[in-house]
Amino acid sequence: MDILFLLIPLSVVLVFAVLGGLWWAIYTGQFEEVEAEGERILHED
Amino acid sequence: MLTPAIPQAQSSSTSLESDERAWIALDDPAEWSSFSQPLENEQQDWESRLAIEGMHCAACAFNVEKALKAVQGVSSAEVNATSGRARIVWSAAITKPSDWLSAVSKAGYRALPAADAFAQDSRRKNQRLMLWRWLVAGFCMMQVMMYAYPAYVANAGEMTPDMLNLLRWASWVLTLPVLLFSSGPFFSNAFNDLKMRQISMDMPVALGILITFIVSTAATFEPNGWWGAEVYFDSLTMFVFFLLTGRWIELRMRDRTAGALDALMLRLPASVERQKADGGFERVAVRQLALGDIVRVLPGETFPADGTIQLGNTSADEALLTGESRAVPKALGAEVIAGSYNLSAAVQVRIDKIGQTTRYAQIVALMERVSAEKPRLALLADRIARPFLITVLFAAAASAAFLWQEDHGRALMAAVAVLIVTCPCALSLATPAAMLTVSGALAKSGVLVRKMQALEALTTIDTVVFDKTGTLTHDRMEIGKISTAAHLSQSTVLAVASQMAQHSLHPVSRALVRANQSSLADDAQFAVSNVQEISGFGLIADASLGKLKLGSAKFCEIANEVLQNAQQARESEQGSLVYLVADKVWLASFEVIEAVKEDAASAVSALQRSGLAVEVLSGDKLQSVTRIANKVGISQVSGGCTPQEKLQRLQFLQQQGHQVAMVGDGLNDGPVLAAAHVSIAMGQAVPLAQSQSDFVIMSGELNRVPHLILQAKRTMRIVKQNLIWAAVYNATCVPLAVAGMLPAWLAGLGMALSSLLVVLNAARLANATKLITPTL
Repeated sequence: MDILFLLIPLSVVLVFAVLGGLWWAIYTGQFEEVEAEGERILHED
Repeated sequence: MLTPAIPQAQSSSTSLESDERAWIALDDPAEWSSFSQPLENEQQDWESRLAIEGMHCAACAFNVEKALKAVQGVSSAEVNATSGRARIVWSAAITKPSDWLSAVSKAGYRALPAADAFAQDSRRKNQRLMLWRWLVAGFCMMQVMMYAYPAYVANAGEMTPDMLNLLRWASWVLTLPVLLFSSGPFFSNAFNDLKMRQISMDMPVALGILITFIVSTAATFEPNGWWGAEVYFDSLTMFVFFLLTGRWIELRMRDRTAGALDALMLRLPASVERQKADGGFERVAVRQLALGDIVRVLPGETFPADGTIQLGNTSADEALLTGESRAVPKALGAEVIAGSYNLSAAVQVRIDKIGQTTRYAQIVALMERVSAEKPRLALLADRIARPFLITVLFAAAASAAFLWQEDHGRALMAAVAVLIVTCPCALSLATPAAMLTVSGALAKSGVLVRKMQALEALTTIDTVVFDKTGTLTHDRMEIGKISTAAHLSQSTVLAVASQMAQHSLHPVSRALVRANQSSLADDAQFAVSNVQEISGFGLIADASLGKLKLGSAKFCEIANEVLQNAQQARESEQGSLVYLVADKVWLASFEVIEAVKEDAASAVSALQRSGLAVEVLSGDKLQSVTRIANKVGISQVSGGCTPQEKLQRLQFLQQQGHQVAMVGDGLNDGPVLAAAHVSIAMGQAVPLAQSQSDFVIMSGELNRVPHLILQAKRTMRIVKQNLIWAAVYNATCVPLAVAGMLPAWLAGLGMALSSLLVVLNAARLANATKLITPTL
C-alpha cells in the first residue's frame, strides 16, 4: 500500500490541474455562448 | 391634401454616404468616452463596444469580425451573434472610429457605438467570478469526500496512523482554496458588517466556517491535542459548496428579473441622425440633442426622445411603454415617445422633450425607485432579523458550552451547525423576492407598480370605484344614431361624410372616418373634392351631390323644424349632433357619443363575479353616466359629482368599512385617488411623475384591473407561503442543531435549500405578463 503515499499527493495535484482547466474554460467564455461554438464548424476558416 | 414625401434613406448608397459623414462626428476624442475606454498601454489603444445591426446568424458575426480585423490599427475584434454586440480594440495613433465603422458598413452591416456595454460587462464579470468560486468549492469538496471516505468505513486499527495523517493533510490542502477563495464573499461581508457595527446573515456563516477550519486544522496537526481528534473538512467544503450553489442560483434569478427591467431601461439608441442647418443629416450622440432639433429616425430604430412627426408617415411599436401590443399608426403631427420602435418608414421628428422629462425617463426612474423600495412585510422581516441573529449567536454559544465537557471538538461543531442552519435570509427574502418578480412581470405587460405596498392592500379590497371619462370610456368620440333624408341610406351619408372627414384631425371627424365601414367611398359618385376645414365650425367640399357642408347646425344653416326633428330622434340628451347638408338641403345628422371601452363590460363582470362591489363615480351628467353604466353592467351610479362630492362618497364608503380601490384617469381625480385604499390610474394621459396612484395601467385596458387584483392575490399568497416556510424551517432546525443532532454539512444544505425555495417560489410569479382570462 506504499504506493498510496505517492498517489494521494498526486491526486491533490490532479485536482489543481482540473481546476486550472476550468479556470481557463470560464475566462475564455466557454460557458457563455454555447450555441455559437456549435455553429463555428459551418464557417469557412 | 398633400401627402408628404417620405424621406429617402433606405437606398443603400445614400445611407452609406450619410452614415460616413455622420461617423466623422465620432472621430472627436471627446465623444469616445461614451462608448470606449482607454487601455493602459503604450500603443494608446482604446477598447470600444459596438452594436451591430443586420446580423442574422453566426456566419454574419464572423464576416463582421473579418471586416473589422482587416482595418489597420484594429488589434482585436470579437463579435457576438446572439447579443449583436462587438468588442474592438484599436489604436488611436493609427486609426479612427470612422475607419472601422465604415469597414463594417462596407461589409453590408451597420455598426453603432454602444454606450451601455460597460454596465453589462461588470455583470458578466461578477457572474464569471461567482461560477469560478462555485466550481472550486465543488471540485475540492468532491476530492475531500474521497479522502474522508476511508476514515468512515475503516474499522479501528485497520488504517495506519501514517495513512490517516496523509489523508488529513491532503484534505487540509484542498480545503485551503475553499476557505481562502470560495468563501471570500462570506468573510468580506462579515468583516464589513463588523466595521459598520451591524450584523447580517453572513456573520454566522463566516464564524461557522472559521471555527470548523480551526477545529479541523488543530486535529490534523495535533491529533492528541485539546481540540479532539475529529476533522470536519468534508463538512466544511460541503456546506460552502451548498451555500454557494444557493447564492449562484439566486443571482441568476435576480439577473433574470433585472433583465426584464433592463429590457426597458436600455431602449434608447446611442446616436441619432440630426438635421444640420443646411438640411443634411449628421449622426450625433443622443445626449447632444436639444429641444427643437429635427432628427431622422429610420425603420427599426428607436425614437431617441419624445417628439412630433414633421415629415413622413409610419407606425410605432410602443408595447413596452404603453402596453399597446399592436402597431400604432403615426401620421404627420403625431407624437412619438422615446424608447418606442419606428416600424415601417423613415420619418423626421421634431424633438419636444429630452432627458429626464421624457415619458420614458419617468418610467425608468419610477421602476428604479420601486425596485429599491421595501414593502412593509420586508421591513418587518428585516427588523426581526437582527435580534434573531443575535439570539442565534447566543444559542450557538450555549450549545457549545453545554457539550463542552464531553468533547471540545464536538461542542464546537454543534455550535457551527447552529450558526449555519439558521436562515434569516429566507425570512428577509420572502417578501421582496415575490414583489419584485411580480412588478417586473407586470411592467412588461404595461402595468407599472408604483408602490409595492399596494400589492398587499389590493388583496383586501371589496369595492372598486370607476371614474367614467377616460376610464370606462375612451377619450375619443363615436358615432351613435344616424338619421338621414328619405332618399339616402345611412351607409351612403356616412361614406360621404367620412370622405370629407378624412381631411381633418378633429375628434368628430376621426369618429366619422372610423365609423365608415362601407367601401362606397371608392365610388366616384360620392367622391368629394376641394375639402376645406373652417376651423372651429366644420368642413366644406364639392361633390356630385352639390356644395357639401359638414358641421354644427349653425354652420350648416339648418332650418328650425329639421333641427327639432333631429333633436327628438336622438338616443339621449348627452350626445351632440353633427349635420351634413348639400346646397343647404339637409341630408343627414350624426349623433356623436362617447365610446365605451371594448373590454369594460367583461372587466366589470369579472370583478363582480369575484365578489367585488363595482360603482361609477363621475362628474358628468347623471343621465350620460347611467347610460354608460348600463352598457357595462354597473348598477350603483353617482353622477354630476364635484371633486368634493366624489371624495365624500369615497369617505362614506370607507366609513362603512369598505376597502375601496379607485380606478381613474389620474388627471382630474387626484384627491379621490389619493384618498382610496388603492388607486389605479389609467392611460397614457397621466404625467407619471405627478401621478399619485399606486398602479398605472399604461394601455388603459380595463381587463388589466381584474388581472392586477388576481396577480396581487397570487403574490400575497406566495409571500405568505414563503414566510410560513421560513418560520417553520427555522423553528425545526435551530432546536435540532442546538441539541447537537444536526451535522454541519446537513445544516449547510438546509440553509441553501431554504433560501432557494423562497426564491424559486417567487419566480413562479414571473408569468404574470400573460393576461389570464379574468376569473378570480
